[in-house]
Amino acid sequence: MQAEASFFTLLPDEKHQLQLERLQSTLNRAYRHVPYHANQLNALGIEPADIATLADLQRLPFMERADFSEHYPYDLFAVPLRDIVRIHTAPGTTRNPTVSGYTAQDREHWRHMLSRAMRAAGITPHDILQVSLNPGLANWGRDYKDGAESLGASVIPNTQLSIEKQLMVLRDYKTTALITTPAMAGHLARHMTDSGMGPAALSLKTLIICGESIAPDLRKTIEQELHVRSWVHYGLSEVPGPAVAFECESHDGLHINEDHFLPEIVDPETGAPLPEGSAGELVLTTLTTRAFPLIRFRTGDRARILKTACPCGNTLARLQWYPERMDNIMNIDGVNVHGDQVHYHLENMLSLSKEAISLRVARREGRKLLEVFIRMNDTIFSDEIKELEKLLRRAEARLRENLGVPAAIRLIESASM
Amino acid sequence: MLRIRNLKCFYGRIMAIKGISLSVAAGEITCLIGANGSGKSTLLSAVCGLLPDWTGGIELEGQSIKGLDPPALVRRGISLVPEGRLIFPPLSVMDNLKLGAYTRYKKRAANAIEADLESMMSMFPILRERFRQPAGTLSGGEQQMLAIARALMARPRLLLLDEPSMGLAPMIVEKIMEVLEVLRSGGLTIVLVEQNALAALEAADRGYVLETGAVVLQGAADELLADKDVKRAYLGKDYGDFYDAG
Repeated sequence: MQAEASFFTLLPDEKHQLQLERLQSTLNRAYRHVPYHANQLNALGIEPADIATLADLQRLPFMERADFSEHYPYDLFAVPLRDIVRIHTAPGTTRNPTVSGYTAQDREHWRHMLSRAMRAAGITPHDILQVSLNPGLANWGRDYKDGAESLGASVIPNTQLSIEKQLMVLRDYKTTALITTPAMAGHLARHMTDSGMGPAALSLKTLIICGESIAPDLRKTIEQELHVRSWVHYGLSEVPGPAVAFECESHDGLHINEDHFLPEIVDPETGAPLPEGSAGELVLTTLTTRAFPLIRFRTGDRARILKTACPCGNTLARLQWYPERMDNIMNIDGVNVHGDQVHYHLENMLSLSKEAISLRVARREGRKLLEVFIRMNDTIFSDEIKELEKLLRRAEARLRENLGVPAAIRLIESASM
Repeated sequence: MLRIRNLKCFYGRIMAIKGISLSVAAGEITCLIGANGSGKSTLLSAVCGLLPDWTGGIELEGQSIKGLDPPALVRRGISLVPEGRLIFPPLSVMDNLKLGAYTRYKKRAANAIEADLESMMSMFPILRERFRQPAGTLSGGEQQMLAIARALMARPRLLLLDEPSMGLAPMIVEKIMEVLEVLRSGGLTIVLVEQNALAALEAADRGYVLETGAVVLQGAADELLADKDVKRAYLGKDYGDFYDAG
């Protein structure tokens, strides 16, 4: 990890050289070992050797979520399966989930990145760190646990608990740092107030917020209610993982792990690169990943890159992350849910066309859930109200299982859509 | 110290190096490993000025070396220990060493050269014993020591070695790697090209893995030593040990 440790101290020119070297070898590996990448380049008559600068990356085609589904399960892996030590699954865009793999070295890099991000939030081996993420972010739960353990913190891993139990653990185990989503943090804060427990009952001092960007006023309220300082992490629930970018003590943008990822900002409509400092869609290319390289992956997230020096002294560029999405993906407590996938499951189970369904993200008891409105029609209409009810509950369970988020289906009359 | 960007080397119309970028930090041993024909030696030839037909950028301490001939590069501080040693067999060990300082004689540095001869012989005591012997009568390991000492006589700041372990017994290889580590701790920057990946990675700080003219992997030497791909391809692990799902 010698090169890793010294990355911060590199001059801009040296940083550029290191990124170029890593980009070129990533392209060489992807081109040689993954037919999908070879075809993508060949179709444009480009060879990896043609990418001579970081800017040349713009000549390469984008990778999108649909590509993951299409090459399900292992066709985007750049190493033999024998080298894979972990396989993660996340909901995809349609029928197939997104499957990503990690080599031992990839895992090592993630541990390193996560402990870097947590160290920036002031987490030390003295902390008792509790991870509380919803089932759709179970992969992140594992990553955070590994990163915090390598830092030497005492970790309470992610487990599905009721809000009462969460709070009990938080209080009795003297948790000092909590990693969770904005919705869950808000839910905890409200529950504490409702149950008459003051923040003084907790030992909590650090809150790491991940999964979604958080509105400044909500953040302030949560910080006040829980008596904590908070740090935001940016990541992707499918690939590559959590804490791609993280806040430092200056809380002015999120430092991107530029030694592992090359960020670009493009116009979401045309895909054209935008001038430095503009807001647009964030595109990521992996620089060190062995098993599952991403080349110009469109994240669908809206962001801006700040290259000015950060008062904290960290030389990694910063990301300003906006809540809006650039695609038809809904962020439900950090889990990316693709509208097409919801349609796929409902069509499959209830033979419903896209037009008969509308979707929205709703809130229930402080947590977000996927709300599906179905216009009543003859196909699913049954005289037996019980039968209909059963069918809808089964459909909800299927959505929950496949998407990793709570779902509620409501029937409405045709006229109200 | 040395920075290469998008180096492409040609033998006629054949592109032997297909856009390699790499960097060598001062005071480190950087190794290039890869199979036969992966372009390792071609890359060294370009850096030493022995191969004129290349494009891209090679910078030594921030300055391009494009167009410089080998003597000029030696004066700039680059010295090569070529593959197969290439000592002068009929000449004595002493004369071989003095030839290494060829570019310095013009600068009337005779006294300094004498002092360097002395320090070479303290570093490689065997050369003192064989001082007046024709170099061709030395054993393979001794010849390799002589080739390294000869390169050092030019007082390089960047020492390039092309397959120094070739044809030598493991014990001798170990000795040579020890010498390189001593030189590194004295502040010398070293680029080591090796097919013997294990020996090279054990001595090196960082490494690059070359495959048919391109870099497919780079990183800290210990990271590469632990890498399954590297183990499979270059560290002599039986391919049958691995199940290839592809």
